[in-house]
Amino acid sequence: MQQNFPLATTLGVWAFMALTAIIGATLLLTGYVWGGTAVWLWAALAYFLISRYASQTAAAVQQGFVTGEQLLQAQKLAALGELAAGLAHEINNPLAIIRQEAEYAQFVLKKSTIGDSPELLEVRDSLREIITQVDRSREITQNLLNFARKREPVLQQVEINRLIEDMVRLVEKEARNKNIHLQRHYDPDLPVVTSDPPLLRQVILNLLNNASYAIGADGEITVATRTLPNREILITVADTGPGIAPEVLPKIFDPFFTTKPQGKGTGLGLAICHGIIQKLGGRISSTSEPGRGATFAVTLPLSAQSQEQPA
Amino acid sequence: MIPTPKILLVDDEDRFRTTMRKLLTGHGLDVTDVDSGHKALTALASQDFDVIVLDLRMPDMDGINTLKAMKDINPDLEVIILTGHASLDDAMEIMQLGGTEYLLKPCSVEALLDKIEIAFERKTIRETHGPQRRSEIPEPEERDQ
Repeated sequence: MQQNFPLATTLGVWAFMALTAIIGATLLLTGYVWGGTAVWLWAALAYFLISRYASQTAAAVQQGFVTGEQLLQAQKLAALGELAAGLAHEINNPLAIIRQEAEYAQFVLKKSTIGDSPELLEVRDSLREIITQVDRSREITQNLLNFARKREPVLQQVEINRLIEDMVRLVEKEARNKNIHLQRHYDPDLPVVTSDPPLLRQVILNLLNNASYAIGADGEITVATRTLPNREILITVADTGPGIAPEVLPKIFDPFFTTKPQGKGTGLGLAICHGIIQKLGGRISSTSEPGRGATFAVTLPLSAQSQEQPA
Repeated sequence: MIPTPKILLVDDEDRFRTTMRKLLTGHGLDVTDVDSGHKALTALASQDFDVIVLDLRMPDMDGINTLKAMKDINPDLEVIILTGHASLDDAMEIMQLGGTEYLLKPCSVEALLDKIEIAFERKTIRETHGPQRRSEIPEPEERDQ
């Protein structure tokens, strides 16, 4: 998730830090001028303690904000998930009737002795198209159900570099046809993590496909891994596409939000990725500057723990 | 001469049920259709059917309860669940209750015909081999769909 703090929160945190620095500096100065070395030492100690408290408080304020926003996003996703599942189920029944009527019309035409006039061929073609579009709609409802399905992660030892490389190779062949090159910057010392490989594959594949789609043709996708100082794993997928507009960036993990043309995307891919990474105890975020591509960052803990929020 | 499979089609959606009956009849099956679980049980009490095609979501008696009641009458009944409301939990419960197959709407009539044919063959084999446990009866080959 994009971690944008409201201006008021950011200014408040900075004002608090600045105030602490001013008080500390005043203590040091007055202590040195009026009290000599002993008072100066006491003042220095007080300043050290106050500044430490201030930085911890500032971090807690920011952390609290992140947690609150993530909880809100999780609740929103859970509610939409239930709605999506209900919708998918209800739509399947009328879809079944539409498909069946078209099949029955085909069946009747097949048995009839009308012959093969151009008009009849048009009708047959039209019936085939109805069935094709029903099957396409069924795929969409299946995606909705997949999105809503609450599958608990099955934890295993995962070599992240290898898992990513498998997905990169899957995408690379088609990408090469569009003159899109994949660059690897894998950290060779990446530790083995405990996570859910099929769910992770789904996320990586989705990010790679999105990157390729964003570029269209002639560009580069850079996939990198590294270990963060807090022992988390960082995976980044960066593309040289047109980038994501700032007003769009905060919405990209929302269900049903898509920038793809009608019929090309359900707007569920990144929402599913967000849900998966959250279940695996990690975070997903994106950064982008229009015209300079986009970067998606996934952080994973060494050992996944379910982070699902109550619906 | 190959006997005509007798099918009981249970679905509360009128248009779906009547068109499905016409389609299956057109493919040479003997189809009786009813719109509720209660009517299905009444039909079963008076007639023999080779294969039951059963919807899950029905207003008065849902598919799971209908399936339980049917299996109480005859544990060897071949039942195909055809539903728009699929969930992993439903599928597992159906398998535990002895539901033979599970199809998600919308599906092609060919897919349903394949399932019916397999279920019918299994019933025929069972009757030929006499009363045996389900697990001891050879499974007919699955067809590609």
